Amino acid sequence: MTQLREPAHRVSPRARLMWHVETAISATVVAVGLGVGAYFATPDGLRWWLTGLAVVVCAVVAVVVPQWRYRVHRWEVSPTAVYTQRGWWARERRIAPMSRVQTVDFAQGPLARLFGLASVTVTTASAAGPLQIEGLDRDVALALTDELTRKADLVAGDAT
Amino acid sequence: MLLVHPIREVGKFFPVLIGLVVAGGASGIGPWALLGVGVPVALGVVRYLTTTYRIAGGRVELRRGLLQRHTLATPVDRVRAVDLTASPIHRILGLATVVIGTGSVASGADERLELDALPREEAARLRSELLHARPAATPDQAAAGGAVPDEEHVVARFSPRWLWYAPFSGTVLVAFGALAGATFQIAESVHLRVSEADLAGIGTTFVLSAVVGVLLVAVLVVVGGYLVVNGGFVLARYRTAWHVRRGLLTHREISIDMARLAGVSLGEPALLRLAHGRRVNAIVTGLSGEGQSTSSMLLPPAPAATGYDVASAVLGDPTPVTAPLRSHGRAAATRRFSRALLGSLPFVALVVAGVVAGGPVALLALAVVPVVLALALAVDRVRTLGHGFVAGHVVMRSGSVLRSRDVLAADHVIGWNLRATWFQRRAGLVSLTATTAGGKGRVHVPDVSTDDAIALAEEATPDLLGQFLVP
Repeated sequence: MTQLREPAHRVSPRARLMWHVETAISATVVAVGLGVGAYFATPDGLRWWLTGLAVVVCAVVAVVVPQWRYRVHRWEVSPTAVYTQRGWWARERRIAPMSRVQTVDFAQGPLARLFGLASVTVTTASAAGPLQIEGLDRDVALALTDELTRKADLVAGDAT
Repeated sequence: MLLVHPIREVGKFFPVLIGLVVAGGASGIGPWALLGVGVPVALGVVRYLTTTYRIAGGRVELRRGLLQRHTLATPVDRVRAVDLTASPIHRILGLATVVIGTGSVASGADERLELDALPREEAARLRSELLHARPAATPDQAAAGGAVPDEEHVVARFSPRWLWYAPFSGTVLVAFGALAGATFQIAESVHLRVSEADLAGIGTTFVLSAVVGVLLVAVLVVVGGYLVVNGGFVLARYRTAWHVRRGLLTHREISIDMARLAGVSLGEPALLRLAHGRRVNAIVTGLSGEGQSTSSMLLPPAPAATGYDVASAVLGDPTPVTAPLRSHGRAAATRRFSRALLGSLPFVALVVAGVVAGGPVALLALAVVPVVLALALAVDRVRTLGHGFVAGHVVMRSGSVLRSRDVLAADHVIGWNLRATWFQRRAGLVSLTATTAGGKGRVHVPDVSTDDAIALAEEATPDLLGQFLVP
C-alpha cells in the first residue's frame, strides 16, 4: 500500500485569520442576500426559521472552512520537484518537476498585505497545472520565489 | 540573412479588396456606403503594405503598423505548427495565408504570427524552412531547397464512404436546433395567424412530418458541411512533420512538427460509436485545445478502423491504441452508479410531484425512464473507465456520451494533479490528471484507486513521486 505523504510545510498560522476575515466578508454578503430573500419570499410561519438557517449556515462556513483549509494547505520544494496541497472538501495535490517550471509569481493582495502574507504561484507550460501556495509569510514567500527562480533557471530547454 | 517583403505587386491585396467591396455592397448604396468601404480598404492596404517578415539569426520576425509599429519575434525552434489556408479568392489569385503556431498562450489578433496573402510558392517555401530546416539540414537537402523529392507517406485519404459518419458527429443536433429556430423566426415574421380551427386541424402526423423534414434538412446541411470542410482530406507524413490537407473550397494545409506531437486523443462519442466511427485529434505542444481545435485534427469522423490506423501511425506503435486498460474496480463503479442515479432523482421527483398534484397514477410509469437512462449511462461509464501505461505512453479512457481515449507520451507529461473529495478519500479513490503543454493542457481520468494512480505516475515519470511517498 503506497501512499503519498503530505507536503512538509504548513502555511503561516496567520493565514487562518486572513481566511477568517475573507470568508466572514463573503459569508456576510451571502447571508444578507439569503436572509432578505427568505424574509420576503416565504410564508409567515417559515420566515424566521429560514432566515435563521441561512445565517447559521453562513456563520458555520465562516468559522469552519478557514480552519479546515489551514489543516489541508501545505507545500514542499525538493531539489527536483515542487509539491503542493490545497483545498478543503476537495483536496488537490499537484506535483511538477523543477525542470518544467516556467514562471514563478509572487503576489500580495490588499488583505494579504495587511497580514504580512503573500502567495506564490508556480506555472508550467500546461494550462491545467499552476501550483499555488497561498498564505505564506511574506519573507518565506520571497525566499521561496528566489529559490525557485534560481532552480528553474538552471534547467536548459523550453520546459515543454 | 533572408529579407522578404510579402508585397511585390499591388494586385496581391485583391482578396482583401474584393471581400470588403462585397461585404460593404451588401449593406447599402450611397456615398456613405462608399466611405464605409473605402476606409477599411485603405486600412487594409496600409496594413498589407506595412507588413514585412524575415527569418534571421534563428528567429522569425513580423513587423507591421504605420503609426504604431508592432514587431513580433519568435525563435524558429519554438515553431510547432504551420497552417496554410487559401480561401477560394486566394486560390484564384494563387495566394495563401500562413499562420505560424508557437507555444504562446496569448492568442489575440495582434499577437498571432499571421501572414495574409503570400504567393503560394513563397508560403510553401516558408513552411518548409520553418519546419524542416531546424534539425541541422544536411547540405544536399539545403542545396535542393524545399523541392526535395522525398517520398510522402500517406496514411489516410478521404473516401466518399466517410460521409456516412458526418450525421453522427453531434453537429446534427446543433444544426437541427438552429434550423428549428430559424423556421420559427420566419413563421413569426410573416405574421402567420393561427386560429382555433387551424390548431385543431394540426394532427400528430403534421407535427411529426415537420420534425422529420427539419431533421432531414439538418442532416443534409451537416453532410454538406462535412464535405466542404473535409473533402479531399489527406493525412501524410513528409520528412519530420505530419501534414493534413483538406477542404473543397477553402484549402487548408496544416503541418505539425513530429517532435512537438505529445500524443493523440481518440474521440468516440456515443453517437459516433453507434455508427462504428471514430475521430482523432493530435495533442500538440503549443497548440491549445480551445479555438485552435480545428488545427489539431488528425482525422474527422471516419471509420473506426481508419481511426486506429491513423493513431497507430502517428504514435509509431499500435499497442497504446489497442492494449486493454486496467479497469477501476468496485469503488469507482459504485460511484458511477450513485452519481448517475442521483442525477436522475430530480426528474423522478418531478413526476412524483405531478402525480401528487392530481395527475393520473399511470404517470408514475414515466418515472422509470430517467432511472433506466441513468443506469445505462452508468454501465457504459463503468465499462469505459480505464487507464494504463503502454509502450511509453500514459493511456486514459473515460466518458460515455463524449467518450475519449487519450494517449500521451511519458516525456510530454509535465506534472500531476491528484484531486480527491472527502467521499473519494473515503473510498480510496483519486481523480488523476497528467498535465502537458498541448491540447487542453491535460489528460484526465476520474476515480483511480490511490495505489494505481501512484503506480501509473511512477511508471511514467520515475523518481518524481518516489520522494514524496510514505516511507
